[in-house]
Amino acid sequence: MGLIVKTSARAIIPLIGIFGAYVVSHGHLTPGGGFQGGATIAGAGVLFLVAFGLSEMRKHYNKHLYSALEGLGGLVFLGAAMLGIGTAFFYNTLWHNGPILNGKPGTLLSAGFLPIMNLAVGLKVFTGLVSALVAIAMYRRWKS
Amino acid sequence: MNGEAILPYLIIIPLFGAFSMPIVSLAGKKAREAWAVLISALTLVVASAVFYHVWDTKEIIVYTLGAKTPFGQGVDFPIRIVWEVDLLGAIMALTVAFVSLMAILYSIGYMKHDTGLDKYYTLILVLELGMLGIAITGDLFNFYVFLEIMSIASYALVAFRNDTWEGIEAGIKYMFVGSIAGSFILLGIALLYGQYGTLTMGYIALKILENPTVTAKVALALFIAGLLFKSGASPVHMWLADAHPAAPSSISAMLSGLVIKVGGIYALARILFSIYTPMGHVVVLKSYLQPYINMTAVGWLIIIFACLTLIIGNAMAVIQTDMKRLLAYSSVGQIGYILLGLGIGLAAYGTHAGEVALAGAIYHTVNHALMKALLFLVAGAVIHEVGTRNLNELSGLAKTMPKTTFAFLIGAAAIVGLPPLNGFASKWLIYESSAIYNPVLGAIAIIGTAFCTAAYVRVLYTFFGRPSERVANAKDPETSMMLPMILLVLAIIVMGLFPWQISDKVMIPAARMLEQFRLEYINALMGLLGGA
Repeated sequence: MGLIVKTSARAIIPLIGIFGAYVVSHGHLTPGGGFQGGATIAGAGVLFLVAFGLSEMRKHYNKHLYSALEGLGGLVFLGAAMLGIGTAFFYNTLWHNGPILNGKPGTLLSAGFLPIMNLAVGLKVFTGLVSALVAIAMYRRWKS
Repeated sequence: MNGEAILPYLIIIPLFGAFSMPIVSLAGKKAREAWAVLISALTLVVASAVFYHVWDTKEIIVYTLGAKTPFGQGVDFPIRIVWEVDLLGAIMALTVAFVSLMAILYSIGYMKHDTGLDKYYTLILVLELGMLGIAITGDLFNFYVFLEIMSIASYALVAFRNDTWEGIEAGIKYMFVGSIAGSFILLGIALLYGQYGTLTMGYIALKILENPTVTAKVALALFIAGLLFKSGASPVHMWLADAHPAAPSSISAMLSGLVIKVGGIYALARILFSIYTPMGHVVVLKSYLQPYINMTAVGWLIIIFACLTLIIGNAMAVIQTDMKRLLAYSSVGQIGYILLGLGIGLAAYGTHAGEVALAGAIYHTVNHALMKALLFLVAGAVIHEVGTRNLNELSGLAKTMPKTTFAFLIGAAAIVGLPPLNGFASKWLIYESSAIYNPVLGAIAIIGTAFCTAAYVRVLYTFFGRPSERVANAKDPETSMMLPMILLVLAIIVMGLFPWQISDKVMIPAARMLEQFRLEYINALMGLLGGA
């Protein structure tokens, strides 16, 4: 891509990333959540891929790391769901008894395991979408 | 042992295995194979425990996600996702866990020349997870989610060998057809939710009993249409005949043995008997004096599709020259028997014939899962050793691959229904009940079996012929591929030795629990209202 696109991308990618992180972390307070925020951050990854090209992306993208992080996102989600297994699967014990995450409703630390799950889903969606798009972008050649 | 405490681990363990697979596979090839086998073995242990608990107590397990009770504070309707496991669900979960373990064990040897195996083992665990979820869920939307988990994992696995043209072609065909079927089911769920405002199966059943509307009938039609697609019933079986030969053989074994049964037959049985309970015909007329949905007609609809499936599937199997395509068409034919049992169970509801037919359908589901898994594993071993699926080139395999041929012999004899093996009893129950209910149906079932016998005799005739040049250097496969076959042969023989005990102790009670003459499925859920 041209110079203007690259320079704009330099300015915009952090903004998209920060907005995506905001959507993920405020999933229990405002519209949005893990999936929407994760997809937004993945949008920043796509912008990087489009603006700077595949060769630059190859230097910054590690398949094993993204794959492991995607698994980690799922594991954190499952772990949060298992915290209250003494009562039931998905029992929100952090909200009922939990140490920090049971603040006044409407504040950031107020929804038990929901912020944790949103972060996990956001991580999983971001790494999954970026991995999928990079894999498609790297797909051999146009002809066979 | 407390059934409710162990039930969530049926989902947690495969989910944990699938999520941790990308991390575990960083440790190398051996680690991910061991991990997959360990996870699926643990799942089998949990599934056996759940099955034993349900079978022992004859009670329906109701498990609520997120709290002790499915009911909200101060309201008398369920607001949370519930998992509801009756004996049929437990039988399906056990079968799924067993056949999945066999397929994963088999993959160690069978898939070792392929690449991208960390994805393969993740997908196979996700496939198992989706099927287990369908078997245990008591929530309609939860059911849809698990159905899609299962379907998407199986699309990806059918097209796993993406360097072969047939893998991609079959995968695309399966994906298009499966997505359309899935959207039918979603539309049905949306209609029911819009009409009755709830998604819990037991509670929707109650709501439909109180007020059987046209919307409910339209939703039922959409469910039947979607699930007949998923189970590979006759006019819409074309995806199956492509998907099963193109998939890796361990996946064909799971697709044919499990996916079409759990995602098709089991879901159909659950929706027909638990949501649209045929008992409603009596209950509604008695208490509300308004007509309920005519489930006898629905039963006959299923019977018609079953007869078509039976004849077309088995007849098409006779003329195949591709070994795995033959097995795929045979699967279509056997689905016809199961649908016939299900249809008679619905049309002859409340009579002895109906109960026997339903028990036969459940029994045949389990039996066919075992024997078709075995046959596909054998086909995989033959392809692995000889490198062709063309039956015309495979003559004389009995000389060079004796153990594999023996396994095929047992599987073929069981699927045809020879007396000492397990296929006999289940087919007998279906023949008997169909002959009692309507002799024409019995005759159609026998014709189907005649075609089926012809197809398998043809394959065996090839196997025992004079060795061709192609098979001269073949030998029996390695232990990790032989072991699942031997275990499946043992399961078939052992189940074949005690057919009527199994039928009386497991299958008839399962059919009775499914028929719910006292609305057990609804009562197990609503009974928690007072106690909580």
